[in-house]
Amino acid sequence: MFGRRVHHLISEIPTGSICTLLEIPQGKIFRIVEIKGGPGLHRRLLSLGFHRGDRVTLDREAIMQGPVLVRNLTADTKVALGRGIAQKILVEPIGDNEG
Amino acid sequence: MKDNFPVIVFIGQPNCGKSTLFNSIAGYKAQTSNFPGTTVTHAHSEVMWKGQVYSIVDLPGTYSLTPSEPQEKVALTHIFKEKPDLIVNVIDASLLGRSLELTLELLELEYPMIVVLNMMDLAEKKGMSIRVEELEKKLGVPVVKTIAIHGLGTKELLDSVEKALISRKAPIAPRYAKEVEKRIQKLIEALPEDFPIIANKRFTAIKAIEAETMAADRFILESHKPLKSMIDSLRQEISDWREAPAYEVISAERHHLALKIFEECCQVRHARVNWVEELDNLIMHPIFGYFFLLLIFAGMFYLIFKIGSPLETWLLKPFESLRLSLQSHHNLLAELLNGLIQGIGGGIAIVFPYFIPLLLLMGFLEDLGYLARAGFLLDTFMHRIGLHGKSVPMFILGLGCNVPAIMATRILESKRDRIVTALLIPFVPCAARTTIILALVAFLLGPWWALGFYFFNLLLIAFLALVLKKFFKYSSPGLILEIPSLKLPSLKNIWQKTYFNLKEFVRFAWPILIGGSVILSFLSYIKFDRVFNTFLSPLVSGLLGLPSNLGVTLIFGFLRKELSLLMMFQALGVGYQQLLSVITRTQLLTFVAFVSFFIPCLSTLAIIWKELGRRIAFLSVALNLSVAILVSWLIRLLFSIL
Ligand SMILES: Nc1nc2c(ncn2[C@@H]2O[C@H](COP(=O)(O)OP(=O)(O)OP(=O)(O)O)[C@@H](O)[C@H]2O)c(=O)[nH]1
Ligand SMILES: [Mg+2]
Repeated sequence: MFGRRVHHLISEIPTGSICTLLEIPQGKIFRIVEIKGGPGLHRRLLSLGFHRGDRVTLDREAIMQGPVLVRNLTADTKVALGRGIAQKILVEPIGDNEG
Repeated sequence: MKDNFPVIVFIGQPNCGKSTLFNSIAGYKAQTSNFPGTTVTHAHSEVMWKGQVYSIVDLPGTYSLTPSEPQEKVALTHIFKEKPDLIVNVIDASLLGRSLELTLELLELEYPMIVVLNMMDLAEKKGMSIRVEELEKKLGVPVVKTIAIHGLGTKELLDSVEKALISRKAPIAPRYAKEVEKRIQKLIEALPEDFPIIANKRFTAIKAIEAETMAADRFILESHKPLKSMIDSLRQEISDWREAPAYEVISAERHHLALKIFEECCQVRHARVNWVEELDNLIMHPIFGYFFLLLIFAGMFYLIFKIGSPLETWLLKPFESLRLSLQSHHNLLAELLNGLIQGIGGGIAIVFPYFIPLLLLMGFLEDLGYLARAGFLLDTFMHRIGLHGKSVPMFILGLGCNVPAIMATRILESKRDRIVTALLIPFVPCAARTTIILALVAFLLGPWWALGFYFFNLLLIAFLALVLKKFFKYSSPGLILEIPSLKLPSLKNIWQKTYFNLKEFVRFAWPILIGGSVILSFLSYIKFDRVFNTFLSPLVSGLLGLPSNLGVTLIFGFLRKELSLLMMFQALGVGYQQLLSVITRTQLLTFVAFVSFFIPCLSTLAIIWKELGRRIAFLSVALNLSVAILVSWLIRLLFSIL
C-alpha cells in the first residue's frame, strides 16, 4: 500500500537487496526500510519503537518455526516477533563500518 | 477519590518501574515484576510529604498514547477523563532514547509534568552518562534520577512534586517539521466550537490526524462530516510529503526528535559484556533453553518439596499430639476444639512450608525476567494448541494464584485468546493446590507420584486447549512481545512481594480454613453432614469409588480447593499420617484429581465473571466439572485394571 521508497533515507543507504527480517543472517546489522501490514500492526510496531531507518539484527530464531528475537540497536530493545510479523518488516544491509 | 488532595499519576512505558517506585513511596501495594504488562489496573494511595497529602496513582504501562491493549486504555482513560494535577512520567533510563517518544507525546498534553529517570543503576552499567540539566532544558520539565528498587531518589522526587504543584508550570508541546506543523495549525483553526477537546486544541488536532482508521475517526465522521473530509485531505498532504501514512510521519517526527535529544543529553561509553548477557544467551538458546526451562521448573518443585516436607513433619507434631489428647473425649466442645486444631494445623503446618518457598521462587523468576523468555521459547508449542507465547506468562503466574493470572489476560490483544486462556488457567495448579499435591501425594505416596501428577496436568491443559480450539476459531495475530533485560533480582523486593501475597493469603484463606473446619466438626457432631453425604453419594461413592463421608468436603472445596483436602482427615476421622490406613492410594489420587479440577475456586470464578462475563464463568464451571468427573473416573478405572 505504501510501497514507495522514502527519498530522504535513500541517500544515506548504500544500495543493497531488500529482504524481510526472516531472511537475514543472524547477528548482521540491517536497516528497516519499510513495515508492511495493516495499520493496527503498523501502529503497534511504531509504538514499540520500530521505525524506518532503525538498525536491527536478528538475534535468535526459536526452533520449529517459532518466533524470532529481534534486537533493535537504535532503541536498544529486544522484541520477540512471530514469523508472520517478522515477514512484514523489510530490511536492507548496511555497510560493515557501522554498528 | 479525587478529594482535595492533588492527584499525581505515574505514567510510562511498560516495565520502567512505575509500580516499584509507587511501592517505595506508598509501601508495598502494587504487584511488580520484570515483565512488560504487570500492572493491568490502577492502584492509588494517599501519601503524606512535608505536611501535605498527595493522592498518587500507579497506572498500567503504555507504549504510546494510541493504545492497542486493553490495559493501556485504562492508563489513557485516567489521564484524559480525570485530569490529574501532575503527570510523573517514569522512564527506564537504560532505554532513554525510545522512552522519550512517549515523553514527547505526553508533553503535547501541556499538563504540569515531571520526568523521572528510573533504573539509573542499569543505565550506568550500560555506560550511559545522562546530563540532567541539559535534558531539563530540552524538555522544559524538571528531571529527577531514581533507583526505585533501592528506594533511592524518592525524596528528591517528592520535593520536586511539591515544587511543580506550587508553580503549576505547564510545558510547551514539542514542534515538528514545518510541513507537519502547517497542517496541525490548519486543523486547530478549523476545529468547531462543539468539538470535544481533550487537553488542548493542538493535542486534539494531532490525535485526530493520527486516528486514521481508528474508532475515533468513525466518531468524527458521524458527528462532524465536513471536518472529516478536511482531516482526510490534511492526512493526504502529510502522507504525500514523506510517502508514508500520516500517523507514521508524526510518529517518525517524534522518533527523530527523541533520538536527537537523546544524543545531545547522553553519552554512551562502550559497555562491557557482563554475566547477564552470557546468562541470557544460555537461557534463550534454541536447544539448551528448553533444557533449562525443564530444569528450572522441575528444580523449583523439587526444592519446594525438599524444604517443605521436613518442615511439615516438624510443624505437624504439636498439632498431632493435641489432637490425640482430645480423641478420648466425645462432647461438643472437644469436637469443636478438634475442628479448630485441624483448621489451624492445616493452615500453618501444611500450607506454609510449601506456600512460602513457592512464592519466593516465583518472585525470583519474575524479577529475573524469565516469564517473557519462557513466552518466547514456548510460543511455537503454544501455536500448535491454538494460543501464542504471550499467554505463557499467565500460566506461570497461575502457579502462584489463578486470580492475578486471569487479570493478566488483559494484556492479550484478542478477545478470543483472553477467553481461551482464562478458561484454561483454572486447570493450572496454584500455590494452594501445589501445597496439597506436595503435602498429600508427594508426602504420602512419594515425589514421583507428584511429578507424574504435574506432568499429567500439563498434558491435560494442552489437550483442553486443543478441544477449545475446535470451538473458538483460531486466527492468531502473531506474537509481539518485548523481552525486558535480565535483571539481578533484589532479595528485599522478593521478600516484600512474598510477604504481601502471604498477607493476602492469611487474611482471606485462614478464616475460611479455620471457620470451615469448625463448621464441619459441628455438622458432623449433630450428624447433619450425612445429608450432604447422602445427596452426593451417587457421585462420590458411585462414580468415583470414594468413601461417601467425603461428600461434605466438596461443598467447602468450592470456597477454597485446599479446604476439601484438608477436611478429608476430619471427615474420615483420622490424623494426617494415618490417612492411607483408611483409603487406598487410588482413592487418594482420584480424590486429589477430582478436587483439583471440579470447579474454579470462588475467587477465581468471581474474577472470571468480572473480567469476561457470566457466560464464560458458567462455561468455565461446566468445563471444569466435566473434566473432573471424566479424569477422576479414568484414574479409578486405570488403577483398577493395573
Ligand atoms: N535494577 C533496577 N531494577 C528496577 C528498578 N526499578 C524497578 N526495577 C525492576 O524492574 C522491574 C519492573 O518494575 P515494575 O515496577 O513492575 O514496572 P512497571 O513500570 O510497573 O511495569 P508495568 O506495570 O508492566 O507497566 C521489576 O522487576 C523491578 O524489580 C531500578 O531502579 N533498578
Ligand atoms: Mg506496574
